[in-house]
Amino acid sequence: MSTSAIALILGLAFGFALNKAGLTKYHKIVNQFRFTDMSVLKFMMTALVVAMIGLFGLRGLGLVTFPTVPATYIVGNLAGGLLFGVGMALTGY
Amino acid sequence: MKFIMNYLRKETWSPYVAGILLGIVGILAVWLSNALLGASGAFENLAGMIGKFAFPKVFDNMYFNYIMPPGITYGVILLIGVFFGGMIGAATSKTLKWGKKDSSNDDAQWKRIFGPQTWKRWVLGFLGAIILEYAAGIAGGCTSGLAISGGMLLVPAAFLFIGGMFMSGILTALIIYRRRY
Repeated sequence: MSTSAIALILGLAFGFALNKAGLTKYHKIVNQFRFTDMSVLKFMMTALVVAMIGLFGLRGLGLVTFPTVPATYIVGNLAGGLLFGVGMALTGY
Repeated sequence: MKFIMNYLRKETWSPYVAGILLGIVGILAVWLSNALLGASGAFENLAGMIGKFAFPKVFDNMYFNYIMPPGITYGVILLIGVFFGGMIGAATSKTLKWGKKDSSNDDAQWKRIFGPQTWKRWVLGFLGAIILEYAAGIAGGCTSGLAISGGMLLVPAAFLFIGGMFMSGILTALIIYRRRY
């Protein structure tokens, strides 16, 4: 299967998961920051844990090699995150 | 089988179930195509394409030549999939509001805080999105591209980003909601 087809199918599943978790709605995102609705954290952390176990397991078996990981530059990552939160709470992205 | 079909039609899943689905998608992206999930990068690729065409001088810089090269990348195709995947998700739960009344602004909580005008939501959404995209450019990714894809590979940047995002997000929500927080 070509790379584009894989990207499209994975994208469909990604969008489907986001919609079903309710993260396409403004109030779900903002209420996370008000701590009245924890679904963003539950969704993100579950995805993280599942993917971590899967990926590190597969790497242990020698089935995958990791792609180039996002670079770490402390000030930039933190400043970007700080600015990102403002936009996130405003728009509900 | 019937249980699964009924669950597919539910409007809101348990975030844990949806999270497991996203986790599997993340694993498959690395396994099948050695790529990471992401959303904000795709917008930059597209913006770069338009910019290179319309203002070649302005866009002839380090960032658009090397860091975010323009073009129809893996991320762009993924983003198209995300758009239609979201629509399919809404269609299965019969909440797809394409072309219907109030389709551009139907969030009751938003209306309570900012007022019922649709244009306000569009303006605020546009301004907020500029902040989001710019910030994602600085940090090197957004919620999906850095926090989730980076986090699942245990990259320190992802956790710094999540920390920053929550700090300022809580503050912004406090300012917007004030007594209603």
